[in-house]
Amino acid sequence: MSHAPAAPALRMGIPIPNGKLGMWLFLGTEIMFFTAFIGTYIVMRMGSAGWPTDIHVTHINIWAGGINTFVLILSSYFVVVAHDAVLQRNPSKARLFMTASVVLGILFLGIKSFEYYGKIDYDILPGHIAESDRQSMEKLLKTVGNRLDGHLSAIAPKSTKREREDLLAELDTKITDLQAATGDKKTAAELQQAQAVKKFYNEYVNLRDHIRAEVSFAVPFAELDKLRTETDVSKIPTLALGPFPHEGEEYHPPTDTLLGHVKTAILDDKDLAPLMSGFKVERIRPILYGNLFASNYFLMTGFHAIHVIVGLILFVLAIRSPLSLDNAVFVENAGLYWHFVDLVWIFLFPLIYIV
Amino acid sequence: MSDHDENHSHAGTYLAVFIALCVFTALSIIADLLEFSDKNVTRALVLAIASAKALCVMMFFMHLKFERAWKYLLLLPTGILACALPFALFPDVGAHYYTPDVPQVREYALQQAAAGSGEHGHDDGHAKPQPEHH
Repeated sequence: MSHAPAAPALRMGIPIPNGKLGMWLFLGTEIMFFTAFIGTYIVMRMGSAGWPTDIHVTHINIWAGGINTFVLILSSYFVVVAHDAVLQRNPSKARLFMTASVVLGILFLGIKSFEYYGKIDYDILPGHIAESDRQSMEKLLKTVGNRLDGHLSAIAPKSTKREREDLLAELDTKITDLQAATGDKKTAAELQQAQAVKKFYNEYVNLRDHIRAEVSFAVPFAELDKLRTETDVSKIPTLALGPFPHEGEEYHPPTDTLLGHVKTAILDDKDLAPLMSGFKVERIRPILYGNLFASNYFLMTGFHAIHVIVGLILFVLAIRSPLSLDNAVFVENAGLYWHFVDLVWIFLFPLIYIV
Repeated sequence: MSDHDENHSHAGTYLAVFIALCVFTALSIIADLLEFSDKNVTRALVLAIASAKALCVMMFFMHLKFERAWKYLLLLPTGILACALPFALFPDVGAHYYTPDVPQVREYALQQAAAGSGEHGHDDGHAKPQPEHH
C-alpha cells in the first residue's frame, strides 16, 4: 500500500514573518496614538479664533523645522539603503549607513533641544503664559516678588518666607547698623546689598500698588492714596501694559505704561538691574491661547522626540548584530518604525511650523 | 519585502524617492514664504505636499507598494478608527454652535473691536498681525 506524498502543510495567517506582522500591528496602534494628538490639535485650532501664529510671539523657527525635516528624511533614506545592503549580504555597508542614521537622529534631537531652549527662555510653557494684559501685569508682579524673595533669602539663608517678611521690616535697622559699623570690605558689600534689596522692595511695592489700583505710572506712588477719595473715575488715568520690544529696534516704551516703568525704574537702573538679571520683558507677553498652543506643541513634539530616542535604541541594537541575512527582518522592523517616526514629522512640520 | 526578489537592489528607487522628498520639503517652505493673501491656500498646499510625502515614504521606504493585500486588512480599520476622536471632538470643540464664555473669547472680541476702531489692542505696534478670522 503506497502512501500518497503528504500535502504541504497549510500556511495559516498573513504571509510575512511574525516579527514584521507584530511591528505593523504596533504601528497601527501608533497611527491611532498620533492621530489623536494631531487631530485634536487641528480641532482645537479651528475652535479658537485668534490662535497665535506670529513667529515673533510663538518663537517658532521654520528653518529649524525645515532642517530637521531634511535630517529625518536623509536618515530614513540611509535606513532603507542599510536594509538593502543587508539583503545584498554587505554588512559593513549596512553598518555604515545605520551609524549615519544614528548620528542624524542625534542631530535631530540636538536641533529640537535648541528649539525647546528658545521656548523655555521666553517662558512659552503650558500654564506659564499670560493670555491678557491683566494677566501679564500679575505675572510681572509675581516674577518681581519671587526675585525679591530670592534676594532676601540670600541675606538670610535658611529663613522661612514669614521670617523674610519680618526681615524686610528690619532691613532699615540693618542698614543703619551696617552704616555705623567700621567699614571693612565685607561690611561695605553687605551694606550695598542690603540697600539694593531695600530699593528693590520699595519698587516692588510701587509696582504692586499701581497694578492693584490699575492706575497709570503718570500718578506718582505718593499720590496713589489721594485717588482713593476721587469720585470721578474718569479723572484717574488707567494703567496700560505698553508695547513689547521688536527685534533689532530700540526699545522706548512710554514711561507711564507698566513696561515703560519697569524698563526705566528696574531694568535700566544700575542698582536694580543686577537683581533682575536674565529677565526679558517678552516673558510676560500676553498670548491669546498661548497655553493651549504650548500644551499642543510640547505634547506632539515631545512624544515624537521620545519615539526618535526609541528608534535610536533599535538602531544601536541592529548595529551590534552581525547584520547578516538572519538579521534582515530586525533591520526592516527598526526601519519601519523609523519611517513611521519620519511620517509623523512629515505632518507635524507643516502643521506646527507653517499653517 | 516579502513579495519581490530579495536579491535585486532597489538603491536607484530609494535615491529617487529621497530626492522627491527633499523637493517636496523645499516646496512646503516656498509655499510658506510666498505668503498667499488667503492663508487657506497655504494650508491646502502644504498639507497636500505632506500627504504626497507620506505616500512616498509609505509606498517605497515602508515597502507597502510591494506588499500583498494584508496591508489593507491591517491599515484600513486603523485609519478609520484613528479618525474617530477628531470627528467626535469636532462638533463641540471645533465648530460649537453656541458662544463659549471663556476669557480668551472675550479678549479676542476686545482685540477685534480695538483693531476695528484703528487702535492696537495691545498697544503693541506693527509686529503683531491681525488675529486670524475663522
